[in-house]
This record gives sequence, structure tokens and C-alpha cells, in this order.
Amino acid sequence: MHERLSFFVKRDSALHPLNPLTKIVLALGIILVSIFSPWYWTSHVLLLVVIVPLVFIGKVATEYFTSALRLILPAAGFIFFMQAFFQPIGQTVIFNFWFLDITQESLLFAFRIATRITVMISAFTLFLLTTHPSELMSDLTRRGLPPQFAYVIISTLQILPQMQAKAQTIIAAQRSRGLDTESTFFKRIGSVVPLVSPLVFGSLVEVEERAIAIEARGFTSKKAKTSLYEISDRSSDKFIRWGLVIFVIISIVLKLWLS
Amino acid sequence: MKIEINDLRFIYPTGLEALQGISLIIESGEQVAIVGQNGAGKTTLVRHFNGLLQPTAGSILIGDWDTKITSVAKLASRVGYVFQNPDEQLFSKDVGTEVKFGPRNLGYSKDKTDELVKRALTLTELSDKTETNPYDLSPTWRKMVALASVISMDTPIVIFDEPTTGQDALSIARIAHVIAELRREGKTVVTITHDIDFCAENFERVIALSEGRILLDGVAANIFGQEEVLAQTFVDPPQLTRLGKKLGFKETVRNQEEFLNILRK
Ligand SMILES: Nc1ncnc2c1ncn2[C@@H]1O[C@H](COP(=O)(O)OP(=O)(O)O)[C@@H](O)[C@H]1O
Ligand SMILES: [Mg+2]
Repeated sequence: MHERLSFFVKRDSALHPLNPLTKIVLALGIILVSIFSPWYWTSHVLLLVVIVPLVFIGKVATEYFTSALRLILPAAGFIFFMQAFFQPIGQTVIFNFWFLDITQESLLFAFRIATRITVMISAFTLFLLTTHPSELMSDLTRRGLPPQFAYVIISTLQILPQMQAKAQTIIAAQRSRGLDTESTFFKRIGSVVPLVSPLVFGSLVEVEERAIAIEARGFTSKKAKTSLYEISDRSSDKFIRWGLVIFVIISIVLKLWLS
Repeated sequence: MKIEINDLRFIYPTGLEALQGISLIIESGEQVAIVGQNGAGKTTLVRHFNGLLQPTAGSILIGDWDTKITSVAKLASRVGYVFQNPDEQLFSKDVGTEVKFGPRNLGYSKDKTDELVKRALTLTELSDKTETNPYDLSPTWRKMVALASVISMDTPIVIFDEPTTGQDALSIARIAHVIAELRREGKTVVTITHDIDFCAENFERVIALSEGRILLDGVAANIFGQEEVLAQTFVDPPQLTRLGKKLGFKETVRNQEEFLNILRK
């Protein structure tokens, strides 16, 4: 009923049951390799040979491509144009606009940067689409992340849609009492207090109640906590993680060696 | 004032068809209770009465106004709506100002506003709390402030969405008193309630909704007699009705008075 803030889509795929940490390492690994690799074509290969197949394996193709259109294309496009126009390199002028020259070299450079950005956003999108935020936080807490930190992240993800729903109800309640929220500018200014104060008061009360509720369940207790959910961390997970670390190290070594 | 609903259908943006063809006439001055399981569509239905929701198909007439072409601000002069949670509407620094908000929005004269506010405060037993900040009151009294702030608008139709939920016995008695007073003044009252005993003691007509349709509509005694049908929407008849049935009473009893009358016979 409420719009969700997390990108997670529940699917029955080979990617979903992986340990959340494995999926973060996967995303970071792809990003780091694309940054450190000495060859410009690495990013393109990563995109086509790693990310796109993973998107299909994770069964999130529709969601990935819609967010790609909405988020990745504009971001990569913007960076492409900025670099193409303002990168003062190269002599082979292809195109001239006012005082701006577009050279073959700057164009190539822009293309590489834009692909790298696409790889970064894609890797992260893939991670967000296949990982439930609470699963991620439980797993990280188990590995030593302070629970307070996890709480702030998770409760923010949950509270925002709730506040949105609450704001809708408040608007409905005040309109029922004859509050004019639609006509003139001055009437709208006048309607700020009746709309905002219940939202602020209500949210403060809720935050306090939440705090008391979790404290009553021993949130700040120093003892080791058990978890309601078992989050699997199989040996294949460890294998994938170490594999990725090795790839990253190799690309760093190659970069240092070849340059 | 009369409410006329013709084949009302409503689909939420999520695609859920919350109302699936509801036709209903509520006469001027009638007191109606709406019951039914959570998610049956009760709130969705009454939010159409003052134009907060617009029908996907069908129509609603409030008196001679079609809600489709009348603004919510204008409909507010005919339909008062007390929301379930008072905290979602109280904002003033004192009770008096809060109760004045509605009638002032409706543009009543100062004298009329003062008079309406005074009456609403008396009716809800808040007269000695006009200077208090609503957030310094207990939740049960905040509920009374919410009631007062709608009653003060003097609308011919008043809607209550689950007024007794979370209230103690004293507060429930006060709400019953307010509804009785509105009845005496000839207002139309529509109340959504899960409190079936409250429903039995205060309402003549009961409408049971189930999954966006009207399951039962009629005189309370008839409705409560149909235990099996009511069970479809997870409503139990009032305790006294069930006790009467177990004792083998021929008539369906609704409240203490009817129950005692049969026992005395
Ligand atoms: N804002 C909304 N968006 C989508 N679906 C909703 C919304 N509000 C209510 N619903 C759904 O509509 C159905 C009827 O809800 P509602 O009228 O609130 O039921 P009731 O008041 O009888 O408990 C429920 O299935 C509910 O989940
Ligand atoms: Mg409801």
C-alpha cells in the first residue's frame, strides 16, 4: 500500500540467496576492477560480459533496464558531454562549436569515463535490486557493525514512507474541516501550520515510542544477540569474495606494472 | 440531509478494487452504523461522502450536491468527518482555538462561531479545558477534542470513523451521548465501528460490508439475527444477542433493556 523506499525486488534467482556481503563485494569488485584496470576496454567487457548476464541471472532485467533508462543514461550522458566539450586534449578537431573544440581524443576519453560511470551505477543497482536492506543490515551487524548504525539506516527506510502516508491522512483530515489547500497562494500559506504541526508532533511521539519499544527489548544490551533470521553464508560465498579480491589485486598490480 | 449512492465503484491506484458496486440511500436524520472486517472498504466508502475520494464509477449525492462537481472545502459545510486518530488533525495551542478552526473555515459569523464552539465544548464535556493544550490531555480527551472540532461545524451529516477504538468506558459513554444529542437535533450520523455492543446500543440501522460489497443492510435486530451471514465478514453479534439465543429467546435482543424485558415476561 505504501510506496517502498528500497529497490529490492523479491525473485527466486541464483543471485538472491547469496550472502549480502558477497553481493556488496561483487559490486565493489566490479567497480574497482574497472577503475584500476590498465586497459580502456575493461569497462565495456565488464558491462557486457559480467553485469548484463548477472542482471538476467538475478531475474531483475526489467527493473534494471527501467532504472538504467531513468538514472544511468542521464548521468552517463551528462558526464559524456561535459568531458567531450571541456577536456582540453588532442589535436584532431572533429567538431567546432563557438570557442569549444571537440577532438577525437576528448571524445574517446569522454566515452571511457561515461562507460566507467555506467559500470559503477549498474553494479550498485544490481546489488540494491537483489539485496533486502534488512538482510544486509542483519548480516553486517552480525559481522560487527554497530546496531545503532543499522537501526538508523533501516528506520529511515521505513519511516519515510510512513510519514508520507501520515501526511496524506493529515491533509485529508484538515480538508474535511474546511481547510482550503487548493485555491489562492495566501490560503495555502495559511494551511501550513495545520498540516505541518500534526506531522511533526506525531512523528516525534512515534520516534520516542519506537525508542522505548526497542529499549524494552534490550537493544542496548551488551550481550551477544541471536538473530531471528539465519542469513546463509556458504563456502561458495567465501570463494566468490576471495576470487573478487584477487581480481582487484591483479588489476592494481597490472596497473602499477604497465604504467 | 439525505445521502444517495448509486452503484459506486472505487479502484485504488494500486489496482485494488476496494468498492465493487455499492448502492445505498441514507435518509435525512438517520443513524447508521457500518460494520465489517478490516479492509472491507468502510473507510474508503465514507471518504467518498465528503469528496476526499472520487468514484471510479457511479455517483454520490449529498442532498442536491454531486460530490464529483463539488469541492471538498464546500462539502465540508454539509459533511463533518471525525478521523480515527485525533493526533492526525490537532494542531492548535489550546482546545478553544482548535474547535474554532472548522466553523471559521466555513465562514460563519463571529457570534455564530462562538455559539457553535460553546455548544460543541459543552456536549463533549470540554468546557473546563478550553485553555489547555490538546497535547497535554490524555488520548481519550484528545478524542473528545477531535469530536468537538467537527461538531462545532454544525454540519447536517456527521461521520465517525471508529470513534470508540482505544477509548475507556467513560469516554465511550460520552461518545454515545454526543451521538444521541446529534440524533435529537435531526442530524444524519454515519459511524464505522468494530465495537458491536456500542453499535447495538446506539444504532437502529446497521450495514455490514464485506470485500467492497454490502453484505447486509437493515434494522439492527434483523442483522444481528443472521449470525452465519455476519460471520462471513468476521462480525460476532453482540454478547447479549448471543446469550439470548443460547437461552432460547424467540426474538433477537440487542441491548440490556430488550434482554431484561424478555426475562421479566
Ligand atoms: N491509500 C490506499 N492505497 C491502496 N489501497 C488502499 C488504500 N487505503 C486502503 N486500501 C485498501 O483498500 C481496502 C479497503 O480499505 P479500507 O476502506 O481502509 O477498509 P476498512 O476501513 O473497512 O478497514 C483494503 O484492502 C486496503 O488495503
Ligand atoms: Mg478503516
